[in-house]
Amino acid sequence: MTPSTAPSRLPEPPVLDVDPFSDENIENPYPFHERLRETAPVVFIPKYGIYAVGRYEEVRTVMSDYARFTSEGGIGMSDIRKPGAWRTPSPITEVDPPRHTKIRGAMTKVLSPLVIRQWREHFAAEAEAVAERAVARGEIEAVRELVEAFVLKVFPDVLGVDMPRENFVAIGEMNFNQIGPNNELLQKSLERVEPILDQYQKSFQRESMLPGGFGEKIYKAEDAGDFDKGTAGVQVRSFLRAGVDTTIAGIGHTLNLLASNPGEWAKVKADPAKLRGAFDEAIRLHSPSQVMFRTTKGEQVLSGLRLEDDTKIANFLGAANRDQRKFADPERFDVERETAGIHLALGVGHHICIGQMIARLEAECILGALVRRVERIEPAGAPEYRLVNTLRTLERLPLRLVRAA
Amino acid sequence: MPKVTFINPDESRIELDIPVGTSLMRAATAHGIDGIVGDCGGGLTCATCHVLVEDGYLDKMPAVQANEDQMLDFTAMGRSPCSRLSCQLVVTEDMDGLTVRIADPQL
Repeated sequence: MTPSTAPSRLPEPPVLDVDPFSDENIENPYPFHERLRETAPVVFIPKYGIYAVGRYEEVRTVMSDYARFTSEGGIGMSDIRKPGAWRTPSPITEVDPPRHTKIRGAMTKVLSPLVIRQWREHFAAEAEAVAERAVARGEIEAVRELVEAFVLKVFPDVLGVDMPRENFVAIGEMNFNQIGPNNELLQKSLERVEPILDQYQKSFQRESMLPGGFGEKIYKAEDAGDFDKGTAGVQVRSFLRAGVDTTIAGIGHTLNLLASNPGEWAKVKADPAKLRGAFDEAIRLHSPSQVMFRTTKGEQVLSGLRLEDDTKIANFLGAANRDQRKFADPERFDVERETAGIHLALGVGHHICIGQMIARLEAECILGALVRRVERIEPAGAPEYRLVNTLRTLERLPLRLVRAA
Repeated sequence: MPKVTFINPDESRIELDIPVGTSLMRAATAHGIDGIVGDCGGGLTCATCHVLVEDGYLDKMPAVQANEDQMLDFTAMGRSPCSRLSCQLVVTEDMDGLTVRIADPQL
């Protein structure tokens, strides 16, 4: 390395003195995202002592280059290996290759595309029933009456876990608050889940698994030696954490965008195969999982900036997905854009969302059941977002469903 | 631009000029080759862009990485020694003249 490129001679990332997790920036993250992208390829956020990236290429690199940016410090803001923040790592998301490779392989076996495709009939039947009830009502609050009514039925069904709806929502908020800072939002959600925490812990234990679910299969795989002893429960929990709220959020955003973009609705109405593109486009524009963390492994250079060792980097997936360096006219909802595998809403690299085919099947079934029944969907009031540190999801989505003649 | 031939399940052939750096899956879906589904867009989670690489070209393909290897076990058609997921076959000059047979079924 020549002296001019020695890391010690390179500039440090500039300071961006903003709290990404203020109520205002969670409610509407896009002005912050723009500042993040346009300030520099990497910035330093003093309030939390972390780096942050929001441009597509940098987010892609930090998310996938595990040799330089590890997941083993935890995928949240606090380093789970440090005193005060220590907790058991997730045995799949907080492990780097090569250890991760074997675990991912075992999980792929439990949740292979062949397994997931067998659920189609069940998902489709539930979707038809839920959509029929919603359309009969005409005017609905779509988050509860359509999206949650469907996802909170079929996902626990196939996982083989039984939990009341309120618990899913409260636990989800806690999980996605915990990925962010220890702020008032997190404290409040911890208080809310306190009374149900025991019940939640029990819900992913072996004796709670309903027969035939993939939760039970994860325990059996542990028995067969595919997973380390004692990790099956945490694996099941990982699915509860990762698979419920994000899917609800993604389907909600798709409905909201279709209701507010009649031209795009017309395209999916004419060709429902375009619903797939609509879902990917919705999670590009409003990425349910907004931010994921990595930790520098040694001093690193990223886009000509010097990063210190052992420091967290916030990857703003939602910001990267609106980077005009990558996406032309990034704010436009375009169901024909074809960004599956390109946008970063589901992550990238070895840790790319393993349950995405479940989410895609859920989206396809419920949106398909709806599009076949209704001529158009219209906003019936302003949508409201829920305040959660790292989850972009709708609290309320009032819609009018106009039945096809 | 390297030429790649896809053989459909009905034995019809489609020849595409694919720019270096583009995956076979992207090129096929962009040209409306229905036999390549590519649901996940190259994320190695759907196994629906399965192809069989014809004789003489297998060793010109990039090495199979662990994630692809794992997914190949769960293709709808089943795995053969010349099976690849076409999302992982990013075209190089070396691949000019490549022929792949589209697996059937994909779903």
